[in-house]
Amino acid sequence: MKRNATPPVLKQVVHIIDDDEAVLDSLSMLLDSVGIKNAIYSNAQTFLDTHQGESIRALAGCIVLDVRMPGMSGMECQQQLEQLKCSLPVIFITGHGDVPMAVEAMKKGAIEFIQKPFREQELLDCIQHALELNKAEHERASRLLDIDKRRKSLTKREKEVMQRVIAGQANKVIACDLNLSQRTIEIHRSNVMDKMQVNSLAELVTLALIK
Amino acid sequence: MTFPIKKNLQANHTQEITDANAQLKALLNAAVDAIIIIDHLGCIELFNAAAQKMFGYPSSEVVGNNIRMLMPEPYRREHDKYLSNYMETKNAKIIGTGREVKACKKNGEIFPIELSVGEVLESSHKQFVGIIRDISEQVKARSDAIANRERLAHVTRLSTMGEMAAGIAHEINQPLSAISSYAQACKNMLERSSNVPDTIAQQQKLSITLEKISSQARRAGEVIRRLRGFVKKRTAEREYVDLNVLIKDSIELAKVDTRLLDHGISLSLTASPAPLLLIDEIQIQQVLFNLIRNAIDAMEDQPTDQVNISSKWIDAQYIEVSVTDTGYGVSKENLVHLFHPFFTTKETGMGMGLPICQSIIQSHGGELRHRAGIDKGSVFSFTLPAKSIVKNKLG
Repeated sequence: MKRNATPPVLKQVVHIIDDDEAVLDSLSMLLDSVGIKNAIYSNAQTFLDTHQGESIRALAGCIVLDVRMPGMSGMECQQQLEQLKCSLPVIFITGHGDVPMAVEAMKKGAIEFIQKPFREQELLDCIQHALELNKAEHERASRLLDIDKRRKSLTKREKEVMQRVIAGQANKVIACDLNLSQRTIEIHRSNVMDKMQVNSLAELVTLALIK
Repeated sequence: MTFPIKKNLQANHTQEITDANAQLKALLNAAVDAIIIIDHLGCIELFNAAAQKMFGYPSSEVVGNNIRMLMPEPYRREHDKYLSNYMETKNAKIIGTGREVKACKKNGEIFPIELSVGEVLESSHKQFVGIIRDISEQVKARSDAIANRERLAHVTRLSTMGEMAAGIAHEINQPLSAISSYAQACKNMLERSSNVPDTIAQQQKLSITLEKISSQARRAGEVIRRLRGFVKKRTAEREYVDLNVLIKDSIELAKVDTRLLDHGISLSLTASPAPLLLIDEIQIQQVLFNLIRNAIDAMEDQPTDQVNISSKWIDAQYIEVSVTDTGYGVSKENLVHLFHPFFTTKETGMGMGLPICQSIIQSHGGELRHRAGIDKGSVFSFTLPAKSIVKNKLG
């Protein structure tokens, strides 16, 4: 039976957005020094413009975002990213502790809110964590896509049979319900197991539960 | 028949002179101002009661002496020159107009006076009359007012900076954070390069990064220097300042209001000729800072609209600086109170910002005015006397 091939290596980039030239430059150099790929943007709009449309959803990596910037603020950028369904984890950095703002950002899904000046290791750990989250997310997404593809390969009849199998009905009951022979149900059932690339009923149920 | 009449006339004439003398004496003694008459060499001929009281000399000690004795240096040294100059050219700066000079009492105390001088015409010899008013009180009141304004301005600068604590932290944290990241990057580079044979490129990179570190340290120092200058206790003093430099400095300072980082500032400054102003730099910075903060306050609902600062010559002697916002503007009923002390529309406002700005600008010989913006918002403009910079003179 064919199992999925190893996925292509994920090219993750840390996107740093900060209006302060020195902060931007020093962060980029810090990430370079530990071999983390990064891209820098002096404002949020430039980031959004560079990755317009579909491509923003295809990005892998994470975003390090300054809270206070002229033009589009970090918080506004986070909102835009949400609307664009960009799944990159966001790490906020701020030059001054603003608790309500931090709470708001975390509620909206930021993974960390770091105050300047920070310990570099703290930021690097956060970035590593974010990259792992992003990687897991990408794997989950590609697995979902894969499962969806398998589901779509089923015929209408096979789907009906699968629903009933998952619900725990015996072949006999299904045959009776669908007004088919038990033998036919067995063939459909075998096709479902094949197309869904599973060996056991338990595996099939697990796949069916993944959303 | 004619003789008695003549005699009578003569008697009348004598009586008239006697009367005139008596009246003059009464006038001189009744006068609140000191009145002194001198001859063309400066020798004192008359010293009225008020003069005796003001200077502390009895008449007997001064009459016959030179007027110089009532003057401190440098007037004492210069006075003979003034007199001889006038005798030659008939051109005196002082005659007919009052002016402020210094005088010296018997006990050595020097005090400010207002002096007006007239020439006695049609007398037997050259005489000048001087009328002197002691203006110690006015001068003191004036310098008290200047000191008070600076004290008040200082207190408001302090309280502004108190409100700005978070912003100050931000302004200093930016370079500190960059320094820290650069330093860590250097450390990582060194650790990784220990087994790389060719390190010349690496060394160059390290050297550049170290330079960046020191430049960021200077940047942090600059923020602190600006803040210290702004809040330190000081006496008002005037110096020639390039307006464009002052505006840029003020904006850097105003960044401690972190909202400015959201708004940003657009500048349209007169480039040439660059205006040079004789001003108290800190006070004018305070005015600009205040106007910028007001603009940001007014644009609460437009958090990304820019504040515009512009400058232009309105004639050869005056420059106008305007701070423009697109905020909610000033209502008609509030307009009349705009510059009144303790009038405020802000919950936490003291109502002292604009009155202090107004008083600072007026003390510099300018005016602070408000007008409505083109579509919405406000324009606060102030004028100041200025001259254009002549580059080679400034060096």
